[in-house]
Amino acid sequence: MMRGVRNYFVFLRRCADVALVGDWRYYAWLGGLAVICLLGLNAYCRQFAQGLVVTGMSDEVSWGVYIANFTFLVGVAAAAVMMVIPVYIYKNEDLHDLVIFGELLAVAAILMCLAFVTVDLGRPDRFWHLIPGIGQFNFPRSMLSWDVIVLNGYLLLNVHICGYLLYCRYRKSKPGKWFYLPFVFIAIVWAVSIHTVTAFLYVGLGGRPFWNSSIVGPRFLASAFTAGPALIILAMQVVRRVTSSPSPGLETPGAGGASWPPSQGRAATLEDFALLCRHLPEMALVPVEVRQSVLPMAEVLEARRGETLLRQGETEDRAFFILRGSVVVKRQEGGRYRITRTAGPGEQFGEISALKATARTASAMAEEPSLVLSLPAEALRRLMKCPPVNKIVRSRMSERLVITDRALMTLRSIVQVSMLINVFLLLNEVFKEFYSGNLHVVSSKYLFVGLGNHHALVPWIWTAIAFNLVAMVLLVLPVSRSLKWLNLTCVLCIVGIWIEKGMGLVVPGFIPTPLGEMMEYRPSLNETLVCFGIWSFGLLCYTIFLRMSVPILQGRLSKENEAAPSPSAAAAAAAGG
Amino acid sequence: MGRRSFLRTSAVVTTGLVALAASLKPLLEMNDFPTMERFLQKYYKEMTPQDMAKVLQRIEDEVEKQYGLRPHVRDLKPLEGVEFVYCLNLTRCIGCRKCVHACVAENNESRDPEIQYIRVLRLPDGSLDIDKADHFYAPESVPEKGYFYMPVQCQQCKNPPCVKVCPVHATWQEADGITVVDYDWCIGCRYCEAACPYWARRFNFTKPSIPKERLNPDMAYLGNRPRRQGVMEKCHFCIQRTRAGRYPACLEVCPAGARKFGNILDPNSEVSYILKNKRVFIQLKEELGTAPRFFYYFDV
Repeated sequence: MMRGVRNYFVFLRRCADVALVGDWRYYAWLGGLAVICLLGLNAYCRQFAQGLVVTGMSDEVSWGVYIANFTFLVGVAAAAVMMVIPVYIYKNEDLHDLVIFGELLAVAAILMCLAFVTVDLGRPDRFWHLIPGIGQFNFPRSMLSWDVIVLNGYLLLNVHICGYLLYCRYRKSKPGKWFYLPFVFIAIVWAVSIHTVTAFLYVGLGGRPFWNSSIVGPRFLASAFTAGPALIILAMQVVRRVTSSPSPGLETPGAGGASWPPSQGRAATLEDFALLCRHLPEMALVPVEVRQSVLPMAEVLEARRGETLLRQGETEDRAFFILRGSVVVKRQEGGRYRITRTAGPGEQFGEISALKATARTASAMAEEPSLVLSLPAEALRRLMKCPPVNKIVRSRMSERLVITDRALMTLRSIVQVSMLINVFLLLNEVFKEFYSGNLHVVSSKYLFVGLGNHHALVPWIWTAIAFNLVAMVLLVLPVSRSLKWLNLTCVLCIVGIWIEKGMGLVVPGFIPTPLGEMMEYRPSLNETLVCFGIWSFGLLCYTIFLRMSVPILQGRLSKENEAAPSPSAAAAAAAGG
Repeated sequence: MGRRSFLRTSAVVTTGLVALAASLKPLLEMNDFPTMERFLQKYYKEMTPQDMAKVLQRIEDEVEKQYGLRPHVRDLKPLEGVEFVYCLNLTRCIGCRKCVHACVAENNESRDPEIQYIRVLRLPDGSLDIDKADHFYAPESVPEKGYFYMPVQCQQCKNPPCVKVCPVHATWQEADGITVVDYDWCIGCRYCEAACPYWARRFNFTKPSIPKERLNPDMAYLGNRPRRQGVMEKCHFCIQRTRAGRYPACLEVCPAGARKFGNILDPNSEVSYILKNKRVFIQLKEELGTAPRFFYYFDV
């Protein structure tokens, strides 16, 4: 028990070490975000001291950008589920490695949501009145109490799932299904619930006809599943970019060609198998006859540092087990090289393409002088007839970090469908409001065309609609299959939906007031600074989460290299300098 | 750790701490930092009579310290067999806004920024379309030809949306039908303000200010005691008066006799008479199902 706790603290300390190491660009990014965070904190302290009078809100428009951002970010958090469903329900392999990034984004988004509701409170010092048990919690009558439960619950679920999977990867142990799969399925339902509950905050108010419409919930989900995956598409490309380097590395000068094909090996012996069994105890369970039968097919290679053992794009049917040393697997994507995993003694590489007889998806190089056992696919199949070997080999197949263009395209089709639904639902709403033309249309009129001298939101909403429509057209056209256009489309989706759902939904609900008074709202400078502060805080959190999780997923940061002299240096190298 | 990296780390940490301290500086101007006693104050319904006595004492001390006047703060409970109802005669109201000012004075509403519980709407004759209402009419004299006036304040709904949405039970309906706010329990989320179809709730966006000489020292815990920054308030049918057998301030001041108030459970009360005998009366936004205890009627 004590040992377990100690190990866990070592893990956390090493994660913290990794998060604080990087090159000057990384420090500049963190420093910039920290400065904006502090500016936001300063603005919030001013608001805390003087009251919400420093915002643009009033009794007439009593919620503003804080709640608008909150609403948008709940959607982003909920959208993480759009990565989880394809992977866990439809077994989508392309998105497999990205699930954790989606969930980490959800964690960062929920932290921002909680910050946004907190800054919106008039008496944040009385937060404890909300805690069930000590305070007075109006559950289940108040939708806000539902929101408190679902948001905090979702935060815990995602922290647990990410934390558990990353810790398992760190220890290179297989995650126990019962420790995370039930939570994954709960989180799927929960994600839909957080956004539905947030929509119900508005929908449940009979006195506000602009919100009191049953389409708000579906619209929230559709827009969330557009903006969320769009954000993930952009974030994943950033991760891919900053974790790759222009050269494959490790190759000794002039040896680029010489290191391929690898030097001839010698025939494997039973002693080599015994060495493998020491690092991979499951192998010892393979019957001796089977071992002997594969022996003639097996070879042992002595690889120098930097020697390429297999090369991306080649097709051959050999899989490898490391007996000594370590091997780094790098993938070339768009002219840059990125580590997808690192393997140590007892671990395999090249097995997927060998078994499937497909081209190598990455290159593998020895990071240090290594001893490697090379087997043809046939031999590996024979060994895998032994169930424990089969299990361990298969479980390790998924231990890699691949961000393929195919994964991004899968996300693109999610964004595509959601955007079509989103625009369709918006049309439904606009039709109902304007065609029936009853008294309730007045808020929509204010939003879309303005009322008399009051038209502050008109340019905003038309910008949002233009962005959404352009994005929709781009998504439908094949042009958005190219990353450049896809990125532009994603930015349009995110900005369009932020305006439409944030300012375009929250503010007009208050205008005119239930007594017909026209009072417009414009966020104050102080309020805007607080918003920027919270966004920076969220980005800071997400950056740090990615910084910790990428080396773990690559296998650079693991329990095995705990004793290594400088884990942070290794991680920094892993992250691409 | 080498000397250089030690120096560098400490430089970074020091800069960080200085920046943090600088950004926290506005807290020094804080005028209303909650004391431990106030921070830990119990919920109204959970206070024992002893707790309440202590709290009332403390409130009196605080008010005296701030305004130089010893108030009398009571915790008045609803009376047995009483359900309050308000009736307002739209034929009589002349739109003079005397009720608004009487309310401000009686209930210690903030003068700067201005908080008022009653909003008088001017509507063109023949229409009850609230979007046509003028809130800021300012003629030489009232009433004006072609218009009628409709004062709106908390409608004391039987089915109040504000109570339903409050996440911390800081606002609730009492046995005599008055919806009250525990100003010391409200967290200031303003969800009730968004939920109210009558725009009857007001938020203290900053510290309220009342001139010392204007303070009304006859106070109730759930009524007109001074509020703090960051909490909701609203019309409570002058709880400090009506639970002590007096009329609300808005009624007393009305020069036109347009306002009637009383106990609907008493068949002989004026409001019972009006609801039984006047043929036309409206509950504002009746279609929302809020069931207001505030009735508008006309003389016919």
